[in-house]
Amino acid sequence: MTPGQSGPVLTVSDVRHAFGPRKVLKGVSLEVRAGEIYALLGPNGAGKTTLVRAICGRLRPASGAVRVVGRDPYSEGEARAALGLAPQALALYPQLTVAENLEAFAALAGLKGRHAADAVRRAMALTRIDERAGSLVRVLSGGFQRRVNIAAAIVAGPKLLVLDEPTVGVDLAAREAVSEALRQLRASGVATLLVTHDLEQAGALADRVAILREGEKVLEGDPALLIAEAFGAQMEVEVDVGDIGDGGAERLSGEGLEPGPIPGAWTCFAADGYVFAGRLAERLQAAGVEVLEVRVRRPSLQHLFARFADTRRAA
Amino acid sequence: MSLAMFRVMVLDLWRDRPALVMTFLLPSVVFLIFSSVFSGATGLDVKLKIAVADLARTPASERLAKAFLADPNLRAERVRPQTLAAVREAVRSGRADAGFVIRSDPGAPGTPLVILADPSRAVAAPLTEARAREVLQQATPDVLLARTVRDLHPAIGDLTADQRDNVAIAVEQLAQNPKLQPAIAPLFEHDEVAEAKRGGAAIAYYAGAVTILFSMFAATHGALTLIDERRSGIADRILAGRAGMGPVVTGKFLFLIAQGAAQAAVIFATAQIVYQVPTLQHLGLWSVTTAATAAAAGGLALGLVALCRTREQAQMLSTFVILILAAIGGSMVPRFLMPPWLQDLGWWTPHAWVIDAYQGLLWRDEGAAALYKAWIVLAAIGLGGFTAAQVAARRIRS
Repeated sequence: MTPGQSGPVLTVSDVRHAFGPRKVLKGVSLEVRAGEIYALLGPNGAGKTTLVRAICGRLRPASGAVRVVGRDPYSEGEARAALGLAPQALALYPQLTVAENLEAFAALAGLKGRHAADAVRRAMALTRIDERAGSLVRVLSGGFQRRVNIAAAIVAGPKLLVLDEPTVGVDLAAREAVSEALRQLRASGVATLLVTHDLEQAGALADRVAILREGEKVLEGDPALLIAEAFGAQMEVEVDVGDIGDGGAERLSGEGLEPGPIPGAWTCFAADGYVFAGRLAERLQAAGVEVLEVRVRRPSLQHLFARFADTRRAA
Repeated sequence: MSLAMFRVMVLDLWRDRPALVMTFLLPSVVFLIFSSVFSGATGLDVKLKIAVADLARTPASERLAKAFLADPNLRAERVRPQTLAAVREAVRSGRADAGFVIRSDPGAPGTPLVILADPSRAVAAPLTEARAREVLQQATPDVLLARTVRDLHPAIGDLTADQRDNVAIAVEQLAQNPKLQPAIAPLFEHDEVAEAKRGGAAIAYYAGAVTILFSMFAATHGALTLIDERRSGIADRILAGRAGMGPVVTGKFLFLIAQGAAQAAVIFATAQIVYQVPTLQHLGLWSVTTAATAAAAGGLALGLVALCRTREQAQMLSTFVILILAAIGGSMVPRFLMPPWLQDLGWWTPHAWVIDAYQGLLWRDEGAAALYKAWIVLAAIGLGGFTAAQVAARRIRS
């Protein structure tokens, strides 16, 4: 099954919610289809957690509708039965082994006997943790624990998998293992909603991304298309400077550079990036600015996120 | 689904060795300590610590003091200096359970002996007096004979000259050899009942008291996993599924009943082996009482924990409630030592019902007709707490 082939497993339609006077969700709509990985991005306080709670049936939104397999997850058990959640925290029993944890969550999802045993085997194989089936969760490395966390979410065979920061605090190898598991789940037709700050992983994995900002969806689409649309043929040029001398800041701004988050690093976007970067370095050095390093980068999801999620820059 | 949670709880406890020791070993140790303290306090094997002073310094008083100090049933010590004030200070400061002062010659008219005791140690004074009477009888029978003859004077009048001589000879001989005392028909006979339940009521009392006390502690420890699951995100995961937290709470309740029953089995097995408390002989009714006790502890613990948002809140509230209930209900101090109003208040705790039920069953040999009230009260407490936990579990959904 290719991404986007089937109808939506998750539909969020014009969902609004407020906690007291604070409006947290201001009319969010989105769809996640079977066999699709949909990454939901956004800075802290954008409303992601509230939206996930509404999708998992933990909260009834003030208005709008959430449907999982066409049903309301707040009031219908069938909707929640089609949903698997891997929370940001390690939602596992540390004193139990990997297999015992999965058996427990399979049983709590209503699976019995051989069906439960098969489901546990399948979830372990998919997340590549079967070699540690008999290990206590508390003695596993952070990467393995993250994989068990996902295995517990998929053990009951959900149609919609909701992952909240699945790779927080794991090393590169573990992150790749998690990504591989998500690709396999996509291939098996599972719809995945990936809530993450790991933009690199989202860019590499997601079929579509959306950026939430202050309770509103400000961007949605194929990440490659969105990047191309936002930056065209432009490249990011980043200059590390040492001594910039008197009036150096004005000189850098005059070249269209903006101070980056790291002190001493200035950035801009320019077409024909490599040629521009070479000439820029010459001009700056001629003007008495000490240039330490010049980097040229193809724009990524990180740049897109910085442009659209940062309230100040978006304004 | 509930059985899955039951299994999780069993595995969790089995792999938590400190919790395992706290749950199954510590209660038996505490029971043995409590029962040896309180069963001993009601028997005659209490060795009181007595401060002794002989102010009279006569031959008779010296013999009495020496015999008293040598009594193997007491831990008597002479105070320095030999004054009434020194004895009073020893009792006041708690260094002695009671004081024994020979104020004047025991054979002289008047009241020669003084016993000093702290009013809060109610049994100390009569026990000291009883020991003193026995020592007087054994060590100074001549003094007792002379006092008796003098005390009889108002009733029998003056003795004849021969009688006076005979008394003087008898007193003289007894003073030299106290063992020559004439056989006096004893007023009391001590009948050691061979088949009596050793330790008796106090043992059955403390088996019940320790059972409910530790059942509450262990149940709270188990119920706290409800909060751990909320904190770790397990509750989020389960709530995102079809069943919600209902089966989780039910599974925990069943586990806490099983845990409480196993804990009680260990305590009463100890009681049967060490003190011959007839648990096996009443196994059927004991099982019902134990199930009701474990249900009350489990339900109450789940209900209390469900009221709290954080582990810290739950630990503080449950410790407070457990200690207060234990103090009022008689798990710490025997209820018969409490003032009547506190004894009445005790019936509002599960502890009093548990203790009374086990004592009724194992000491008074009561049947179901007498125990059913306690079963109903305990089961109602358990189901009440369980229902509160279920309602709270539904509430945390939003």
